[in-house]
Amino acid sequence: MIYVGCDVGSLSGEAVIIEDDSIIKYEIIRVRPRPEQTAFEVTKKALAEAKMSFDDIDYCVSTGYGREKIPFSKGSISEISCHGRGAQWANPSVRTIIDIGGQDAKVIKVDKLGYMVDFVMNDKCAAGTGRFLEGMAKVLGVDLEDLAALSSEAASPVALTKTCTVLAQFEVLYMLNDGIDRSNIAAGINRAMAERISKLVRRVGIKEGVAITGGVAKNFAVVQSLSEVLGLQFVSLGEVDPQIVGALGAALFAKERWQKARQREATPTGGNKETKSVYV
Amino acid sequence: MTALEELKKLPTRKENPYIKEWKGKGRSIVGFTCHYAPKEIFYAADIFPYRLEARGTRETGLADVYYHRFNCTYSRCILQEGLSGGYAFLDGLCFLNGCEQIRRMYEVWKEHVPTTDYQYMITIPHSIYDEGFEWYKEEVFRFKEDLANNFATRLTKGDLRAGIDVYNESKRLLKELYELRKSDHPPISGAEAMKLIFAADIMPREKYNTLLKEAMKEIRSRDGIKDYKARIMVGGSPLDDTQIIEIIENLGGIVVTDTLCGGSRNFQEFVEVEKDGDPLEAIARCYYYSNPCPRMLNSFDSRCEYTEKMAGEANVDGIILQKIVFCDNHSVECTMIADELEPKGIPVLNLEREHMLTDVGRVRTRIEAFIERISRR
Repeated sequence: MIYVGCDVGSLSGEAVIIEDDSIIKYEIIRVRPRPEQTAFEVTKKALAEAKMSFDDIDYCVSTGYGREKIPFSKGSISEISCHGRGAQWANPSVRTIIDIGGQDAKVIKVDKLGYMVDFVMNDKCAAGTGRFLEGMAKVLGVDLEDLAALSSEAASPVALTKTCTVLAQFEVLYMLNDGIDRSNIAAGINRAMAERISKLVRRVGIKEGVAITGGVAKNFAVVQSLSEVLGLQFVSLGEVDPQIVGALGAALFAKERWQKARQREATPTGGNKETKSVYV
Repeated sequence: MTALEELKKLPTRKENPYIKEWKGKGRSIVGFTCHYAPKEIFYAADIFPYRLEARGTRETGLADVYYHRFNCTYSRCILQEGLSGGYAFLDGLCFLNGCEQIRRMYEVWKEHVPTTDYQYMITIPHSIYDEGFEWYKEEVFRFKEDLANNFATRLTKGDLRAGIDVYNESKRLLKELYELRKSDHPPISGAEAMKLIFAADIMPREKYNTLLKEAMKEIRSRDGIKDYKARIMVGGSPLDDTQIIEIIENLGGIVVTDTLCGGSRNFQEFVEVEKDGDPLEAIARCYYYSNPCPRMLNSFDSRCEYTEKMAGEANVDGIILQKIVFCDNHSVECTMIADELEPKGIPVLNLEREHMLTDVGRVRTRIEAFIERISRR
């Protein structure tokens, strides 16, 4: 059976194809203007890699910011549940997941089966999200991927005082004007990011088995700072790319839903309870 | 149009027929801003009390001139309505120091909204204790005198008793409505119920009671709602819009009760006057001692108990505490309540929002995830 999870975020889109109990292929692309377009392109790409077509999909679940706009998915589940499920599948010892995506940061607690039992999500703004790092990289004139490497050369990292992403960019601009070394600024940026995320983690409470997911998990400087700030070591997700964990969780939910649907068909007493009567 | 439809569709301000009708008879309308405003006294003075709201307000350009970043968008939107003439129909306004945001709004309003002739500020102590009650009682007495002088009405004990009766009747009906919401298959959605709650404070109460009584018959005759995923209680900052409730219900939840100041907290206790008792004192006593707002320092435990009791009675699966950014009364309170109730097995979602909900996608994600969390139980 072929199950697909499709995660359309604010900055990137991911598709994961699983067959039975293993990942066959996955793809990550930069988002297109419309969520359905992103979903279609990234899934098509992953299917092509696996030498498959849309007809081969038995069940698809979508997640992420654009989750309700995906025509080929049979249902949508919030990325919070999906990240929890995906990370716990990648490493069964995982109980807390820090997911840092393009526009949101979340801390998710899961039970031993990977079902979410609690979460917090950043309320205020882009501070502490991928969008923050992206804006900063632009001001520094480096590629987002090089921000971590640049910060590892820092001798004395700067302190960023502004919480607002836009104001913090002005702050960085002043520092560049003052001739402060870019590596020190980059290290300050990564540190500020870690500080912001740590507040969310403390709010939900730290459990053993903390994993980090989302695109920002690939910035090793942020991950290292966060590990220092929280005083813990993150558990590994093995070979699973941290950026595809949401889509992976969606694919696992697709499998679960397909199996449940089969069970219902097998038990005739199940009955259809679609009696919509909501008053507005 | 049935009574239920009429109450649900009652428009605010511009199109509201009751404002015109009341004023057409030469009578006055006085606005109020807070749960602690003694509405019975307004009513006894033949004044229609109108709870200030800013439903649908999207721009705050005029209010921003006077406001700082850390003023909340609820008071900001109401002030915007005042500054742009939306409340020109008011003959007066009764403010309270319920929260810092509204108190500051009063200061700007006083200076810059000249259309409101009569403006009065009632102050309440920040704790519940007997000397504090004496303070608030005196404030209420003075307000009553001032109101009567200003609007040239006599205010007898009989008038006050009549005002109390009208409001107690409302409370009795609203309790019945909330009883229906508690059932396994509630005959009314949370969004609808909230609209009925809103209507209470923007139309004359006697008329409201008549319509609500009629509407209850229709509600009772309906089939209950069965296909929901989770029963939810809403609490936190003042709500004057159904937007959040509609999001919850569109995602498969059903809002069956609340701990809101404009909602259930408004009608739990009746004003009881002894045979020879002083009605004014009875009004003050009811407002001061019952169902304290988080502004009251020494009453956190009673708010927790109330939240737990309401959640239990309505058999909810989870509580959504929504707080407006910079809400001084509810921000930390919501976190404290969650810390008390989560260990008791009651899931709580703390949701930060602005008065005018623009960030709908992210609000939806959190509510959806919360429903996923609690509907597995």
